[in-house]
Amino acid sequence: MQIGPIWRALMRNKTGAILIALQVAVTMAIMVNAISIIQSRAESMARPSGVDEPNIFHIVSVGYTEDFDERSVIEQDLAAIRAMPGVIDAIQTNSVPLSGGGWSMGLQTEPGADQDGVGVAVYFVDEHGLDTYGLKLVAGENFTPGDVEWRERQATDWPSTTLLTQAMAEQLFPDNWRDALGATVYINDDEPLVVKGIIERMQAAWNGWDGVERVMLVPQHTLFGSTRYVIRTEPGQRDSLMPEVEKLLADSNRDRIVRGMQTMTETRERSYRGDSSMIKLLTFTIVLLLVITSLGIVGLASFSVSRRTKQIGTRRALGASKSSIARYFMTENVLISGVGVALGAVLTVGLNMLLVDAFGLDRLEIWLVPAAMLVLLLVGQLAVFGPARRAAGVPPAVATRTI
Amino acid sequence: MLSMQNISMVYRTDTVETHALREFSLEVGEGEFVAVTGPSGSGKTTFLNIAGLLERFTSGKYLLDGKDVSSLSDSDTSKVRNEKIGFVFQGFNLIPDLNVFDNVDVPLRYRGFDTAERKRRIEGVLERVGLSSRAKHLPSQLSGGQQQRVAIARALAGEPRFLLADEPTGNLDSHMAESIMALIEEINAGGTTVIMVTHDPALAERAGRNVHIRDGQVSDVETDVQLVANA
Amino acid sequence: MFNYYLKLGWLSIRANPLLSTLMVLAIAIGIGASMTIITVNYAMSGNPIPHKSDQLFYVQLDSWDPNDTDEDSEPPDQVTYTDAMNLIEADRAYRQVASNRSGLVLEPENPDERPFTVDTRNTFADFFPMFDTPFLYGGGWDSSADDGLEHVTVLSRELNERVFGGEDSVGRSVRLNGMDFRVVGVLDEWLPMPKFYDVTNGAFDPSEELYIPFNVAIEYELPRNGNTNCWKRPEGEGFEAFLASECVWIQFWAELRDETEKREYMDFLNAYTEQQKALGRFGRPRDNRLSDVMEWMEAEQVVEDDARVMMGLSLLFLVVCLLNTIGLLLAKFMRKSGDISVRRALGASKRDVFTQHMIESGLIGLGGGLVGLGLTWLGLRGIHALFGEYVEHLVHLDGMMVLAAIALAVVSALAAGLYPTWQACRIMPASQLKTQ
Repeated sequence: MQIGPIWRALMRNKTGAILIALQVAVTMAIMVNAISIIQSRAESMARPSGVDEPNIFHIVSVGYTEDFDERSVIEQDLAAIRAMPGVIDAIQTNSVPLSGGGWSMGLQTEPGADQDGVGVAVYFVDEHGLDTYGLKLVAGENFTPGDVEWRERQATDWPSTTLLTQAMAEQLFPDNWRDALGATVYINDDEPLVVKGIIERMQAAWNGWDGVERVMLVPQHTLFGSTRYVIRTEPGQRDSLMPEVEKLLADSNRDRIVRGMQTMTETRERSYRGDSSMIKLLTFTIVLLLVITSLGIVGLASFSVSRRTKQIGTRRALGASKSSIARYFMTENVLISGVGVALGAVLTVGLNMLLVDAFGLDRLEIWLVPAAMLVLLLVGQLAVFGPARRAAGVPPAVATRTI
Repeated sequence: MLSMQNISMVYRTDTVETHALREFSLEVGEGEFVAVTGPSGSGKTTFLNIAGLLERFTSGKYLLDGKDVSSLSDSDTSKVRNEKIGFVFQGFNLIPDLNVFDNVDVPLRYRGFDTAERKRRIEGVLERVGLSSRAKHLPSQLSGGQQQRVAIARALAGEPRFLLADEPTGNLDSHMAESIMALIEEINAGGTTVIMVTHDPALAERAGRNVHIRDGQVSDVETDVQLVANA
Repeated sequence: MFNYYLKLGWLSIRANPLLSTLMVLAIAIGIGASMTIITVNYAMSGNPIPHKSDQLFYVQLDSWDPNDTDEDSEPPDQVTYTDAMNLIEADRAYRQVASNRSGLVLEPENPDERPFTVDTRNTFADFFPMFDTPFLYGGGWDSSADDGLEHVTVLSRELNERVFGGEDSVGRSVRLNGMDFRVVGVLDEWLPMPKFYDVTNGAFDPSEELYIPFNVAIEYELPRNGNTNCWKRPEGEGFEAFLASECVWIQFWAELRDETEKREYMDFLNAYTEQQKALGRFGRPRDNRLSDVMEWMEAEQVVEDDARVMMGLSLLFLVVCLLNTIGLLLAKFMRKSGDISVRRALGASKRDVFTQHMIESGLIGLGGGLVGLGLTWLGLRGIHALFGEYVEHLVHLDGMMVLAAIALAVVSALAAGLYPTWQACRIMPASQLKTQ
């Protein structure tokens, strides 16, 4: 099949072809950029939180009466929860990873208000923190019970030790993160903290923060009025233990409200709801778009087949085989789609530059462009297959029939 | 009434130049019934298109009703067609989506008549062509002869001075063709100028005058008959 | 003639139901996709208080860290307690409100019912007249209640329904964090979107369920749960030290009725910060700001990037649908070229042909708009299902959006019809219709 005559025939009747090529081009631009967005969202969702998500849940307790003795309630609660069969460990804390609300502070390696601090998320835990979250210590050691203090709501002082994540250590000691172990870092400009240990990984409460893995653990129980318990269970025990823990807390003291019980799995889902929704929305958009473009191709090809019925019959009468007729339309579509995807490549990159510029999105991975070109050419071939077969089915006798 | 002087019509493509009419001249008087004949490709249809202001010509002069129509704008040309000329086509050319009433209504709409006037005229012409009972039918529900009658009714509804007919009986059997011819003769008798293109000598004979076109020019009738006889 | 063309358009649409359905669907899908996203964007960028948004000003004072010398560092988006109280006491605006978000525990009268937490706003008397909150019963409190630390409260309609079964509860009392508060007013439905008066803590959160005097919350050290930012540690321990600190956690609004008042207030703020500089505060170059409601929404980028990106993509999506429609219209009009040339022969001018086909295109657009509205409704349900309660108040079609959908559909269809119509106008009148 020679391309030359097909191309020249197209050029004599180009409006429909141009419309399809444009459609293919815009479709490609949307598709590739949408895929690029999906990729980056999926990547951010795939980052591990560092904690044993499937077996952890958390619950909030709020004391509201004058005579609510928060400290003794926390001690009793922790003792009771830790004693429950199926519970691996539990802590009282201020916030959990990916929950969206928490504390952040700045740490610096030299004291002084003029030094730049590195932002870090703060979790208050006791010596059970590592065990409860299932965190891995890569250097140094865990807090001891003796390290753990009590912190009032408006307190501003900090204890003398801390555990950092490796990501935080790397940020503070770019040359060698192991230098952080045993080093003194400063909080509130000039309050010293000794880094007692380094944990492999733990995420902050905010998934969109660029320092999401920069975390410090502080050995304190908080007396903030509202407190959160994090409970880790044996695998498979979580769901049955949740109502038990809730009941235990609610019944043991009437001067408080127990609320907001959530599994870590739910916390992750809520945290990434916007991202996962964007992924679904964009995927749906891509599919719908491909369907519409395919329908456009089917429509145009059908129109052109029906308009050329007589011509096709004549070709058949002159000896063209069925397959050569079908090939004609398939080749025609390759030409149209080819122009479309070539234009589409330009549009795609242009749109991406615009999105990077205006919204700071990630630059697209360039291999997506040829891949999308290939996919769209293939989709075009699939779409044109039906009409091409119908064209091939035109009997040669049509040539002699007048309509 | 209709006066064409030295009309030429040349179709050009990139490579070919076709002379459809060459220095074509013709005078038609008020109330005449002229039959235009000629072999296929002789320029009959081109002549009719130009006469009906459907096509512009390359050179020459065309006076319709004493008025030079060669340089009218599109909307003025449309107005002349609408008001002065009625067309009857070989293929009937009814609009398939519209029923009989609405088909006859088409030129009247462009004329801008009010509803009552249009209704009066449509009913009048349908009565005249004997199709009053079919007003709500779609063209596809009518026979060929009935369709051509609708087309004639549509041509007459605007009371044109001219009726241009292009092979009006070409697609009809002889019985129907006869009734259509009778209708056209009746219209002509009513004072309307009729120009009919046909290749059927029998039909042409029924006209008051015959004009024969050959190679884009009016040719002598006798000569042509001889040529036909020789062939 | 218009009616005639409408009739012709309708006949033409009916004559080829498959092609017409495809065209209506192509437009409808484009409209559905773009209007779904436009509706969300529209809600996000809406003016929550149109009649006086240009008279309400958010106050920003640059009390931030003098060592933070980033070029793009803005003044903080909230103010310190010290500044809030100084501005309230100065009383230099027509109305002024300092407020913050908190959560209190409400104990129902019936001891069998469990206490629950309620979203609370600590605020001043001016809050209600300043933001024109609608009242179902009673009204806001007097400023004397602010000064006199009176235990008064305003309930939202929902909370009043939950606690008092919806009856007029003015004069009754509710128990909050162990203290009794007297109800002075019950709000009617009030849900400004965006929640402009506190975008720091969630621009699309619902309004609070309960309002109490700010000064009472301070006096009894009631808990806060909004955003708090500090660049410097409070000097000393305890609540007093926190109040005196450089931590920002309060939203401050001033009502200024005209340019003069605004200018005078800005002068006042500048003089105030100069005076504070003398006390050793405000170590950065002076950068005080007064933003009206819409300026503040813009500065805080209330419309999310995701929404804007989706808006762009959905409009491109509409373009694809329109390109499709152009192709289909072209096929349709060309299929009718015989009819068009007959009409031309019978006296239709190019203008007549143009009008007829534009009207037909518009009619298809109208159909696409109506179906598209249905798809938009479905799309918004889908968005709600996907994004959850966060978009609860952003997924409603109002009359404005319904009109916009129809208008967009018709205009798009007319634009798509332009080229095919132009082609239709070029069809020559002819006596002999050629098939094929």
